[in-house]
Amino acid sequence: MRWSRASEVRDGMRVVPSRSSEWVKPVTSKEPASTIIEIDRVSQVFQTSARKDHLALSDISLTIEEGAFVSILGPSGCGKSTLLYIVGGFVSPTSGAAKMKGQAITGPGSDRGPVFQEFALFPWKTVLGNVMYGPRQQGVRSTEAEAQSRTLIEMVGLKGYENFYPKELSGGMKQRVALARTLAYHPEVLLMDEPFGALDAHTRTRLQNDLLNIWERDRKTVLFVTHSVDEAVFLSDKVVMMSKSPGRIRQVIDIDLPRPRRRNELLLDPRYQKYVVDIERMFDEVDETGSPL
Amino acid sequence: MFACIGLLAVWQVASLALKNDSFPTALEAIRAVPDILGDKESLINILASLRRMAIGFGVAVLVSIPLGLLMGRSRAVAAFFNPLLMVIYPVPKAALMPIIMLWLGVGDITKTLVIFLGVSLPVIYHSFEGAKAVEEKMLWSSAAMGLSPVQRLVRIVLPAALPEILTGCRTGLVLALITMITSEMIARQSGAGNILFNALDMGQYDTVFAMIIIVGAMGICLDAIFERVRARLVRWSEPQFDMPLSFS
Repeated sequence: MRWSRASEVRDGMRVVPSRSSEWVKPVTSKEPASTIIEIDRVSQVFQTSARKDHLALSDISLTIEEGAFVSILGPSGCGKSTLLYIVGGFVSPTSGAAKMKGQAITGPGSDRGPVFQEFALFPWKTVLGNVMYGPRQQGVRSTEAEAQSRTLIEMVGLKGYENFYPKELSGGMKQRVALARTLAYHPEVLLMDEPFGALDAHTRTRLQNDLLNIWERDRKTVLFVTHSVDEAVFLSDKVVMMSKSPGRIRQVIDIDLPRPRRRNELLLDPRYQKYVVDIERMFDEVDETGSPL
Repeated sequence: MFACIGLLAVWQVASLALKNDSFPTALEAIRAVPDILGDKESLINILASLRRMAIGFGVAVLVSIPLGLLMGRSRAVAAFFNPLLMVIYPVPKAALMPIIMLWLGVGDITKTLVIFLGVSLPVIYHSFEGAKAVEEKMLWSSAAMGLSPVQRLVRIVLPAALPEILTGCRTGLVLALITMITSEMIARQSGAGNILFNALDMGQYDTVFAMIIIVGAMGICLDAIFERVRARLVRWSEPQFDMPLSFS
């Protein structure tokens, strides 16, 4: 097991402690893994009432390399979703900046595709209409967009449901549509905000397996927010552990497990089990430091 | 349907029992309906009413939906219009008629304007509520696909709020009919309300009741047509299994 200490740099991902005086300059690791997302001393303050401010994120710095599957793990209220929204350009940070391929993120863009827990499908469009929406918006010809979308719908296991409306689908199916809809416009980074959080345990497991299968084909960069330890370990190359009040990065853990990962093999793997147990213990610690139960 | 027949039966029995000149039987009233519809003068009057109603309703919908949607998505626009609308909302639009008549006369413009005012408020209100309720994440998803703020308003907020908007339009349609008759009652010159109240003045009670039947039937028909259109437009949002209800 390799834990990265808070100020250590490993494999192109650096973790910086909260005070900016300890800021570590970017260091190129052995293999020149290219950085795709850079979060630079981001803080986020929310005004909860007229006089009270809530520090949701405090001085977060993080770099994510291209093709990595990175999970942000933490208790509820640690600002992990807010961090994802900042990368998505949906929320502007109070201070600091997020960069995509060296360019400051000023708003949403099709290079960063979100998948939300709430699915956020367009209910007036059919499954096919939803998946085609992005390509059509980007000027792909109708016939071409439709062909691509049908392939994607088949890939997420929804062949035969092309003409269904979202209301006619189960939660798991809706999330499959949402994933296909985002993949359809070829974002470079997938931003997944607790995507399986609203699903029952069995559906959740199946979607994790399918997501991993899809991801292992084209290895898109994925930033995945979750509060499930085994989900984070099962899917990720790296797990960013956050603590709450204020939201800070507690530790970055490399998940050194072979790919392709198969659930039935992995669950029996002592290395997997050790990751889960250790991270769960750390989770308990950060949850307690935040607010006493 | 049975309820309607029942109502007519009660009416018939009641009027026969009361034997009052000002309360004709249901049959007498129904018999007067073809006379009114066959009369060219009356028909022109009724069609003029319908035209005003259509224009007032149409313009109101075209203005109110964009305004309501903008208010729902922009705090500044809402802050500007909300107090104004809160003042106008409880005022009976017919009460404004004397002033409008004073300025614009007793013609078509005045009556159409009153209908417009009557329809606008529920449509604005429902569009506003509908636009406010649009899921933020849905807008974010579309922004990531590259939709501009204007495109989001037209292509995401409008369809997403459509069920709510059409609920407002349905209320607006009934209000259009009400304000139409009220305006013609105040500024008698032409229209269905004019026939009704002239007949009342002249003691032609079967015509009065026949006109009530005609106006009522117009309302029921318009509402039924609208409901058909509405159900078609928002089929995607309706519960999957409709309860077997029949209004006809």
